[in-house]
Amino acid sequence: MLVLTRRANQSIVIGHDVVVTVLEVRGDQVRLGIKAPREVTVHREEVYAEIQRENRQAAIGPEVAFDMDLPLPTPRPPAKPSS
Amino acid sequence: MLISSDRFGDLEVAEERVLMFPDGLLGFPDARRFAMVDSHDTGMYFWLQSVDDPALAFLSVVPWAFFPDYTVELPDAEEKALGIRSEEDVLVLCLLTVQRDRGLITANLLGPLVVNTVDRVGRQVVLAESGYPVRAPLAA
Repeated sequence: MLVLTRRANQSIVIGHDVVVTVLEVRGDQVRLGIKAPREVTVHREEVYAEIQRENRQAAIGPEVAFDMDLPLPTPRPPAKPSS
Repeated sequence: MLISSDRFGDLEVAEERVLMFPDGLLGFPDARRFAMVDSHDTGMYFWLQSVDDPALAFLSVVPWAFFPDYTVELPDAEEKALGIRSEEDVLVLCLLTVQRDRGLITANLLGPLVVNTVDRVGRQVVLAESGYPVRAPLAA
């Protein structure tokens, strides 16, 4: 891991077009500003970790005895698709 | 194409039912190809059987049957990566977690699978700002 020391209002550049700026440091909290192209997704790591964990729970692996006839709930009609 | 699976034995799956996830699923970066297999003949539940790992499968649901107000605001980056051209070409599936001991089935609304049905390419999308839970109980 590359370790850099930055102060408030200083930035690092990742690649050519991602800029991470330290906006404010207060106690153990750091506010970061991130400038990135629209096609780059930026999220807190916790959200990723949470979904990874849930995916592992959801995976029906060899160790899971899964009842193929598991009764699944039927929703109330109408089931309208929308987005 | 013929797919071998631990759960279903050998499956003959039409090519158009095989979905490509170039980045895999979160925590499963190598699980890139899944066959969609209807479950329970409802048109809402689908097994996603890994093409490359016979032992790996997920159960998924079309979320709107249970969560009519569920909204997927696709980030620009994802829309671009998926090459989506029209809303009609989008399929959304949420992975289900079965907690047998509690008799509870929950859907992951925070990280839905969004599929471009024309190109049959999908991505697990993180709806980070949505506030949706990873475990939303399915209520009949």
